[in-house]
Amino acid sequence: MLRSLFRIAVVGLVAAGVAGACDGGLEPEPICARSLVGLCGTVRFRGAVPANTESVFIAAYLAFPQTCTDLINNRRPVIPGSVPFTDSIAPYSVSLSPGAYHWVLAVWKKPGTLTLTPADTQYLRVAGYYRNPADSTQPGVVTVPSGAATGDIDFVVNFDSLRPATDFVTCTAR
Amino acid sequence: MHRAVATLLLVVAPLPAAAQGIVRGTVRDKDGAPISGASIAIPGTTLSTRSDLQGIYRIAVVPAGRVRVYAAALGYGPVDTIVALTGGDSTTVDFSLAPAPLALPPVDVVSDRVPHFGDRPATSVGQVTERDLDRRAVNTVDEAIDHVSGLQMVNGQTNVRGSTGYVQGLNSRVLMTVDGIPMNQGDRGGINWDLLAVDEIESVEILKGAGSSLYGSAAFGGVINVTTRDVPTGLHTRLRLTGGVYGDPPHPVWRFRDTPGMLGGADFSTSYGTDVAGGRISLGDRHSDGYRQQDQDDHLHFAGRARWQHANTRVDFSGAWAADRYDVPLSWCSRGECDDEGQVFQPFKVDTTERGARTDSRKGYLAARVRTTVSPRFAWTARGSWLRTHFVDVRHTATEFGIGDRFGTAGQIEAHPDSARTVIVGVEATFSSVTSDIFGSHSQSEFAAYGQSDQRVGALRVSGGARLDFLAVDGGSLTAVVSPRIGATLNGMWRASVGRGFRSPTMAERFVHTTALGFDVVPNPTLRPETAWSFEIGHTSPPLLRFMRLDAALFWTEARDLIEPQVLLIPPDTVKIQLQNVVRARIAGFDASVIAAPIPDRLIATLGYTYLDTRRRLAGDSTEGPLAFRPRHLLTLGADYTLGPIGVGADFRLASRPARIELEGFVDSRRVPVKVLDLRAAWKPAGGPVEVRMLATNVLNYIYNLVPETLAPVRTVTLTAVWTH
Repeated sequence: MLRSLFRIAVVGLVAAGVAGACDGGLEPEPICARSLVGLCGTVRFRGAVPANTESVFIAAYLAFPQTCTDLINNRRPVIPGSVPFTDSIAPYSVSLSPGAYHWVLAVWKKPGTLTLTPADTQYLRVAGYYRNPADSTQPGVVTVPSGAATGDIDFVVNFDSLRPATDFVTCTAR
Repeated sequence: MHRAVATLLLVVAPLPAAAQGIVRGTVRDKDGAPISGASIAIPGTTLSTRSDLQGIYRIAVVPAGRVRVYAAALGYGPVDTIVALTGGDSTTVDFSLAPAPLALPPVDVVSDRVPHFGDRPATSVGQVTERDLDRRAVNTVDEAIDHVSGLQMVNGQTNVRGSTGYVQGLNSRVLMTVDGIPMNQGDRGGINWDLLAVDEIESVEILKGAGSSLYGSAAFGGVINVTTRDVPTGLHTRLRLTGGVYGDPPHPVWRFRDTPGMLGGADFSTSYGTDVAGGRISLGDRHSDGYRQQDQDDHLHFAGRARWQHANTRVDFSGAWAADRYDVPLSWCSRGECDDEGQVFQPFKVDTTERGARTDSRKGYLAARVRTTVSPRFAWTARGSWLRTHFVDVRHTATEFGIGDRFGTAGQIEAHPDSARTVIVGVEATFSSVTSDIFGSHSQSEFAAYGQSDQRVGALRVSGGARLDFLAVDGGSLTAVVSPRIGATLNGMWRASVGRGFRSPTMAERFVHTTALGFDVVPNPTLRPETAWSFEIGHTSPPLLRFMRLDAALFWTEARDLIEPQVLLIPPDTVKIQLQNVVRARIAGFDASVIAAPIPDRLIATLGYTYLDTRRRLAGDSTEGPLAFRPRHLLTLGADYTLGPIGVGADFRLASRPARIELEGFVDSRRVPVKVLDLRAAWKPAGGPVEVRMLATNVLNYIYNLVPETLAPVRTVTLTAVWTH
């Protein structure tokens, strides 16, 4: 009886092991999923990650923002997801409506509750942005086609050079 | 004092020839088939031997009178018998051993540096037998020992109960010995697993826990002792042919070649021996296309061994030389580094800037050993060895080379003042040197003396000893390290031990100056030896329900000054990597193994489980975290079913995802648990000269990595045919 139980246990353990081994390994990770409408690419990180880093997220603007209010209200997506920032490189993809985006950037955030008001800028810094391939001093324009994604939107985040929003827009409240 | 001197003289003095005899005979199984490699000993003395391929054995200088003779072999029950021996005469004692799959290993050498027959060690010891090596049809030793409970190979580096972790090619916290001779590299301290052909190996013992009290540096976390095959009497020839194929990537988007990768090899050995002398030569060649891009390997090796026996003295010579030329896949391709086909990473492809990288490696050793059995109570052993490693790394950015030498010499005295006591004392000297453009030109000297006494009192066996090591780098001042150990076993079932381990920094760790991950790696000549106290309590059960046996142990290691790579941030934007003594660490856990034979002679099943709880604390920092590259759970399951000449088996290995890796944030930290299933089948007619084995490793083609950006082996199917004459 005990031997039979043992045999059943052995078979059960092996079967459980085989079943468990059927998944969980490394899988392909397309940078741009087929179903994505938006843009995708990779972010390469430079510099030392500040100790108070809470997240890094990707944002896009149809028109370059002029004010702090534009910066908060016109951001797409409104509530972005974080990009892993502990490796030297991270792929990202962002769902966006079709259109021509004039500023695609990575935003660094320190701990603090966002209120979707210009006061949010006290927690945020511009960490890097996609640049015009023809003139790297200028932001690049990215067009998201209807029903598809634009890939290869790659740019650099430099943690040693986080810039406040006031370097780019006019703010009346911080 | 006078009594001690008198005892010493009594022990050392040889017995007159008239008071000695010879015990000879054979060891066979119940069907009359010879058992090779069986241990035959006169317990409590220096006298022991092993049976040859015909099961024949011979023990000389046995004291006349009533003599207890012990015989045992792996997988068979031991037999004890008492014979009457007349001085100047010989007695034949033939043993017939009954199969006993639950029988404990008949001899333990690694834990006390002298053989103990039928006694259990005070520290856990794992064993890989000749049968394990055969049935797994592996090509290198590391592939076989990966299934031992509590042991994990991490990209070629050995972890015994989580000891080593992983630092690419710069150290090992486990010592490898071949027939008792240390074989860790002189410059990097690592282990060359491919220096020995697997056909040369008879068994492997793994001491789990600090072994520095007898073995010194590098035995910080354990010792792996490889016992090579003796040269049998008569003419023997063995040919082994292997061919196989690698599985394709499981996803079309990961494909990197149009035809499957192949591997193959041939090993040949021949030996001739008489009672007085014998010799063996062997050679082998292997080629592998590899399982990923830029992963070809060509391997060639030669090995030789000779023995000479005269009266009570035996001399052994051995040597090996191996040459490898292997492509280096380096790290896998991340986005933008190759034709990534829109993938975040391509684990089968390499960065295009690293195309053409390769390593040419040459390594070899020569060793000699003399053992004289002066009397049944006293024997001495002396040995000398030379190990050389030479590598050339060819990269686009630079070509780097290193030549490491390790010269070692040692002497050991073994005494048995009475049948219940064993004493050993020994001295060792090692000189290592390196010439390299990444390590510089340096040398390191080590001098050591050790002693241990083992005493049996009724059911209790107590052993205690210590070793004193002196280390000097580049002829500088000596650093002393003391490593004591005490252990005890009760009824052979309960065991407990406490010991101190240490590891001297390798010259590679002290002086490495290269680049890694795009950052400068800078030397640190001020590194200090790592030290640790290890504790263990264990139990080996008697057979339970007559078909299974359990072994379990609790272990605890407190380590200081562990050497780990640290990232130095030098303002404004310079990053360097340096090895530093920064860590206090604790490795605690539990391991258990079960062997069961629910259908005697047919089905054997094994289970091994290790739970690891690791903690590390940086100097001057109160926060704690886990040690890198240590999985919390390690599980191995195995089963073998034999029916006549046919055998089938399976192994499953699971390791949980390590909570931390080194240099996290600077490398792709993607990692997953290990879940690998191997299947095997064999056809081995009884008494026939040919056997055929099929091995399919990672049959589910589970894709995983053990270290960052380095793909572990995919599904591989090999067919091996062995012809023995």
